[in-house]
Amino acid sequence: MNVKKVLMVLLVPLLVLVFSTVDGAAQKQRGFDDKEIRVGQWGPQSGPAAAWGAVARGSELLFDMVNEEGGIHGRQIKYFIRDDQYNPSQTMAGVRDLVDRQDVFAFVGGVGTACGLAVQNYLRQNKIIWIGVCTGARDFQNNPWLWQMWPDYFDEGAILTKHAVENMGFKKIAYLYQNDDWGADAMDGVKAVLKKNNLELLDAIPVEPTERDLSSQVSRLQATGAEAVIGIMAPTQAAIALRTAVSLGFKPQWLHSYNLCDFGMMSHITDGLWAKEGVMTAAFTPPIDADTPLMNKYREAAARLAPDERWGIFYLAGVVVAEPLVWALKEVGPNLSREAVRDALNSVTNRQGVGPVLTWTEDNHMPPRKLQVWQCGPNMETIVVQDWIENDLPRP
Amino acid sequence: MPFGQLLIEGLAMGACYGLFGLAVVIIYRTSEVINFAAGTMAVFSTYIAFHMITFYGHPFWLAFLFALIFAALLGMFVEFFFLRPAKNPTLLGLIVITIGVQLLFGGLVCWKWTADQQAFTIPFSYQVIYEPLPGVFMSQWAVAVFVIAAVIVTLLFFFFKYTKLGTAMRATQQNKHAAKIVGIKTDRIFAFSWAFSSVIGVTSAMLISSRTILDPEFMMEPFLRAFAAAVLGGLMSVPGVLLGGGIMGLIENFFGYAMPAWKPITAFVVIVLVLCVRPSGLFAKHYVKKV
Repeated sequence: MNVKKVLMVLLVPLLVLVFSTVDGAAQKQRGFDDKEIRVGQWGPQSGPAAAWGAVARGSELLFDMVNEEGGIHGRQIKYFIRDDQYNPSQTMAGVRDLVDRQDVFAFVGGVGTACGLAVQNYLRQNKIIWIGVCTGARDFQNNPWLWQMWPDYFDEGAILTKHAVENMGFKKIAYLYQNDDWGADAMDGVKAVLKKNNLELLDAIPVEPTERDLSSQVSRLQATGAEAVIGIMAPTQAAIALRTAVSLGFKPQWLHSYNLCDFGMMSHITDGLWAKEGVMTAAFTPPIDADTPLMNKYREAAARLAPDERWGIFYLAGVVVAEPLVWALKEVGPNLSREAVRDALNSVTNRQGVGPVLTWTEDNHMPPRKLQVWQCGPNMETIVVQDWIENDLPRP
Repeated sequence: MPFGQLLIEGLAMGACYGLFGLAVVIIYRTSEVINFAAGTMAVFSTYIAFHMITFYGHPFWLAFLFALIFAALLGMFVEFFFLRPAKNPTLLGLIVITIGVQLLFGGLVCWKWTADQQAFTIPFSYQVIYEPLPGVFMSQWAVAVFVIAAVIVTLLFFFFKYTKLGTAMRATQQNKHAAKIVGIKTDRIFAFSWAFSSVIGVTSAMLISSRTILDPEFMMEPFLRAFAAAVLGGLMSVPGVLLGGGIMGLIENFFGYAMPAWKPITAFVVIVLVLCVRPSGLFAKHYVKKV
């Protein structure tokens, strides 16, 4: 047998296999059948960011409620959670398993900028619907299969600064930030508002997410004479910064990211200082103790279906990211397809569940620009000091 | 620049690093093993105290005492069950075993107490502050750190210099076989070193945790700094380690104030430079290689 014949013998079956696979995939409606719709989410159920794992479990609450009511157009939602330990390499492994083996139709949520970035291209190539990645980083724009809900960190920095300057009258503002894209994006917002008010940022001081001694950074903040400090960092560093400031006799008004608006948890890890010092945070949901019919319905369902879960802000955020998928699936009707759900999501207009008011179009999948500002009250209760307010400054 | 403030804070954190560096040095002095599980062992024992206070409502001092006893037993357990069974171990092999122990205990702590952050409170509060000089604040916590570090170092000095056990530990470090010949039970000395190291480690960890936070990884960063302080101090010298810790704390605080973005690496750069000039550390009298 000469080389030509050997090649033909190997090549022909290979080509048949490839073309038959493509053909089969094109005909298959991936992610659902007559009885179920498969939905997935990754999130840290263990490891250093396990506190944020409640988001994935919060989505499960909504899907359980939907299934309890008979599903959507006769189909139950089958929901998968993959624990990635906040580690992007594990996120990829979990997502590939869900897409390739479990055949999921859509993803909701997904904690972490780096984790989301690790799988963004893969999900996009596979045209998987993805709603509400849990980060406000700008790296997720221009993906036609991703609808964003987590407010842009630029808007967050701007609204916190606007509240400090225009509502509270502070002129001396300093900035303490996590030394990555999160801190950098929000700093643009802080500076934009200060510039608009003819003010200068006194100082911008970085912290690393692994640092445990922040005394030099806080001493420097203190030396600036700042009346208010905008903080964009993880809970651990925020708690250590506050403890250090108190031990140095430095008591500015702290205004932090919406990622730290779980006042119960933050007060607990700061020996109650979060409440005592009246720390403020941005927020993009109503308070968890809000007395609205929908919030009461979810709270009662959580007590019944997930009695071991704490009704906290991260758990609620899981419900928030799952709501638009349920709306779209209901709207599409029994003739389900990926394109139909995409079109339904693209036509969401001024709609609100227990999260922010959402409007998406075919060309705009950006998150809402409205946020609230909350203050932790003396008994860890939520005080809304600034109702929904939109950042009208242009995004960079 | 608030010189006095930075000095006090730098020395206080440096004393914590120095104390924890002592935990590393005590094991190194007897067996020349760097214990990479030191941080996680201290975390484990701190969680025991936390558990007793939070879940059983015991007073701090009882929980502290219990944690010290637990730490001592944990140290002996590690030596007896993980290091001693190793047959003809190389130094590298022993170090790898300590890394394995670190992973094992880290997993155990996460499983039992989850990765959630917690607050660990000691009677010396960082919220009670004094003003010894105008504009210079010193917390009760910092005062406690200085006093505890001074007491421990003084006791250690007398222990190694004047007690039979301390002398036996030094003899074991210098020549294990000769120590055996003169009747020293070296296996017991190793077990005791691990217990001793673990007790000092948890004392330092509790001080650090009460000022920062309690979670399964809270000693990761301090361990690296304590290890660097121990290297800077010469790995054999007790006062050297404490001085190394103080230098680490001061460098970090002053450079961290002047150039915050460079803070995480400044101290390590200085250490590399120092070791280039004095490879056996600042306070080692001479470099001794065992044969």
